[in-house]
Amino acid sequence: MEPAAIHQLLVEKFGDAVVGWHPDGPEPCAEVAPARVADVALFLRDDPRLAFALLMCLSGIDWDGYDAAGKGKSVAILGYRADGTPEAGERVATGDLGVAYHLYSYAHRHKFTLRARVPRAQPSLPTVCRVWPTAAWHEREAWDLLGIVFTGHPDPRRILLEDGWIGHPLRKDYAMPGAWEGVPLQGQPYAVSSAKPVLPPPSAPAPRPAPPDQGARGPAEGGSA
Amino acid sequence: MNPAIDGVAASRGGDDRAALPRLKSELLELNMGPQHPSTHGVLRLLIHTDGEIVHSVRPYIGYLHRCAEKIGEGCDCRQFVVYTDRLDYLAPMNCNFGYVVAVEKLMGIAVPERAEHIRVICAELQRIASHLIAFGTFGLDMGAWTPLLYAFREREVILNIFERLCGGRMLYNYYDIGGVRFDLPDGFAEEVVDFIDMFERKLDEYNTLLSYNKIFIERTADVGVLSVADANAYGCTGPVLRGSGVAWDCRRDDPYSIYDRFEFDVPTGQGEMGTVGDSWDRYMVRIREMAESCRIVRQAVKALPEGPIRTPELKKIVKVPAGAAYTRTESSKGELGFYVIADGGATPFRLKIRSPSFSNLHVIEKIGPGQMISDLVATVGSLDLVLGEIDR
Amino acid sequence: MEQVTALFARIAGAGTLSPQLLLWLGALTMALIMALVMAACAIVFTWAERKVAGFIQSRYGPMRVGRWHGIAQPIADMLKILQKEDIIPADADRKFFILAPFVLFIGSLMAWAAIPFAPGFVAADLDMGLLYIFAASSLVTIGILMSGWASNNKWSLYGAARGAAQIVSYEIPLALAVVPVVLYAGSLNMTDIVVAQQGGIWKWFALRNPFLFVSFLIYFLASIAEVNRTPFDLPETESELVAGYHTEYSGMRFAFFFLAEYANLFLVSCIATAVFLGGWGHPVPGLNFAPALVFLAKAVLLVLAQIWIRWTLPRLRVDQLMHVCWKVMIPLALVCLAGSGVWMLAFVRFA
Repeated sequence: MEPAAIHQLLVEKFGDAVVGWHPDGPEPCAEVAPARVADVALFLRDDPRLAFALLMCLSGIDWDGYDAAGKGKSVAILGYRADGTPEAGERVATGDLGVAYHLYSYAHRHKFTLRARVPRAQPSLPTVCRVWPTAAWHEREAWDLLGIVFTGHPDPRRILLEDGWIGHPLRKDYAMPGAWEGVPLQGQPYAVSSAKPVLPPPSAPAPRPAPPDQGARGPAEGGSA
Repeated sequence: MNPAIDGVAASRGGDDRAALPRLKSELLELNMGPQHPSTHGVLRLLIHTDGEIVHSVRPYIGYLHRCAEKIGEGCDCRQFVVYTDRLDYLAPMNCNFGYVVAVEKLMGIAVPERAEHIRVICAELQRIASHLIAFGTFGLDMGAWTPLLYAFREREVILNIFERLCGGRMLYNYYDIGGVRFDLPDGFAEEVVDFIDMFERKLDEYNTLLSYNKIFIERTADVGVLSVADANAYGCTGPVLRGSGVAWDCRRDDPYSIYDRFEFDVPTGQGEMGTVGDSWDRYMVRIREMAESCRIVRQAVKALPEGPIRTPELKKIVKVPAGAAYTRTESSKGELGFYVIADGGATPFRLKIRSPSFSNLHVIEKIGPGQMISDLVATVGSLDLVLGEIDR
Repeated sequence: MEQVTALFARIAGAGTLSPQLLLWLGALTMALIMALVMAACAIVFTWAERKVAGFIQSRYGPMRVGRWHGIAQPIADMLKILQKEDIIPADADRKFFILAPFVLFIGSLMAWAAIPFAPGFVAADLDMGLLYIFAASSLVTIGILMSGWASNNKWSLYGAARGAAQIVSYEIPLALAVVPVVLYAGSLNMTDIVVAQQGGIWKWFALRNPFLFVSFLIYFLASIAEVNRTPFDLPETESELVAGYHTEYSGMRFAFFFLAEYANLFLVSCIATAVFLGGWGHPVPGLNFAPALVFLAKAVLLVLAQIWIRWTLPRLRVDQLMHVCWKVMIPLALVCLAGSGVWMLAFVRFA
């Protein structure tokens, strides 16, 4: 089933809860009201016409500073200065947070993308880990890295970072820590985009190391008992 | 009173237990990892055991977290290829592949034919190398040392081929947006075909040595059985899913690059030695996939055209048109997805990496409990985890 | 030992030494020889194990130390291990932790006393030598349990529990497998058993009748379990229990475990040689080899077979291990015992 048709089904079923539809680009996606995400998810999984058995991916997104015009003018993230101290951000982040669900149906071999946007002030939406258990870890990751709260999550701990970590690093206004548990951190700036990557011209012969001698195996050291 | 113990007592028919004098007993809490020989990296499994029986398994991850997604937002698209090497460090070519395909899909560019063929050859050789490690370390988990060394012997040839191709033996940084970085060295095709000829015979050796060994079968058949429903619910992909009997492969069923041109089978677990979806099935799927990869490589080498290896009109700093797309490829561990949100600039606005091992590990919470510690080791080994891509 | 005592008496001159002193001197000398043999076999077998493993795995194994095929590698390892820090975990049960490796080591050392390497070359020619050997080697279980408990480490405890269960279980088929031999030889004395096998290959107990051959196989397999080697290396399963009961040991204390493992390996092979394979008797009539060399050669071949098995097979699970022991080996050993008895009644003429 085409994404547009799936969107139609969702609109018929949930009406106003489907708040947006982005048909353009390589991947059309429907946007739903965050409060109804779990209901929509259940419908997507259980309706025999859709049968989205697989949640391929669940991504948290911080839309703050996104250049909607598509000119590449998004707000840059904060990193470290050349002297190793963290950059400070004076800008107050206001943009929404969001979640994207990428679904696939083995039965019908079709894909669908669902998105939800939540306000930065209160970034919470219901968990879908009872619909797709795999979401449990992806949601923990979204909480860990972006601070999105999934209500009803059975195990809402951080997953990749330490339990005591302060802040959510993938937020666009996240300032790098200058120290961690009393140990000063020396950072490096992100690779500067203007630095020219060194590439051989496409037609140049490849650098060729001497062909390794596969027959001769030198005396190996070590071994194990 | 420990509710877990009481629950166990009840499930075993608590009556005869009630007749006994009340012994104080509790579950043993055991940390398997982060330093443990069979967790294949810095994975920590917190397990509760009653004697040899495992009652609960709780994975703790993140020991190898290197902020790949954050770095992805800080550097431009082409620069990030080198970081994808570090995701699944046993299959960097596959990770390169997944990432460049994702960016190219957003950019809407076509890759020259020669580059596509080179990509497929490298990806399949890498898949063989990665499955060889899976085969070897799984044997090691079962207490058999020798398969590991045999696997490394053959993997070495692949690494030599890659070294001649791009100079790297472990991390290649070979794929490029719009093509590959270097053209093939002289004699590459013959070298690859020689390897395939040699390797296809070796597979029989592996089967004799390990796959059909009676002890090995006893240890892996009916162990860690993963049902199709669980596999789907937990998002398991790749050999783990196919081991449960689902003939699904990104390369065939959601083709990318030029995989739709090649003829290959998708091996699945048949439950030959026990139940469908047991550890032996997952293991055997990898062995059979290596043979299929050989077939693909043969076809790709045969069809290898002349021509450019990179899209010539591409600038050094590529700008990705605004949009968002989730692109998945079949890495050696399963479905490797990159969700790229671009804003028209050189740097992705958001880059989410969906790694196959992440979901494949998650399912251990479901299929781990109820078996013995040795079986847990077998189950974890049969999932073929790489912590680099779990923790990213 | 009598010869050694007699030797001392001759050197010192008859009557100059009291019989008591002679006895002590003889015992000390034999103990020294046995300890040296043990150390030497541990050194040789660690090297052999690595080389054989290397050949099986299509690599070389140690090649550098000592110029010729890494022959000095075990010595280098010993020197290294001597310099290692001796770590005793803070919460360990110190007394038992320190004692455990010695108990283990002494257990296997004691058993050596009754092994007849050559006619007359036996430290203690006991009338119930076979029984004594099995009793002495059971001390290993106590050493393993002690180390596992004293380490205060859950993995060690698992290893120790598995080790105790395994060794206690496998002693039964091990002992049952040698009972038919005792029937044939009519003695528990090790020298008597060997002497009963002299006079050609068909006199060897392993080849006397089919039941005895099966008994020999049972003994061989059970002895692999007895010394905790793959496919029965459950007490120290590297991929499951880190290193099992000796996880917390380091330096010299670890070396004692290591030493005891190889000493045990050689011990069970020596017992098999003496009990089933004719001891110092060799199959070629007329030739006169040094009997001790023949004995050692047979034992070394058995050790190599064990090494070969270790580097080829995966390992069993703990319940499968018990299954093999209680449901396969023990009934089979009993059948062999009965079968051997019947065979003796039917075919063997008693003098």
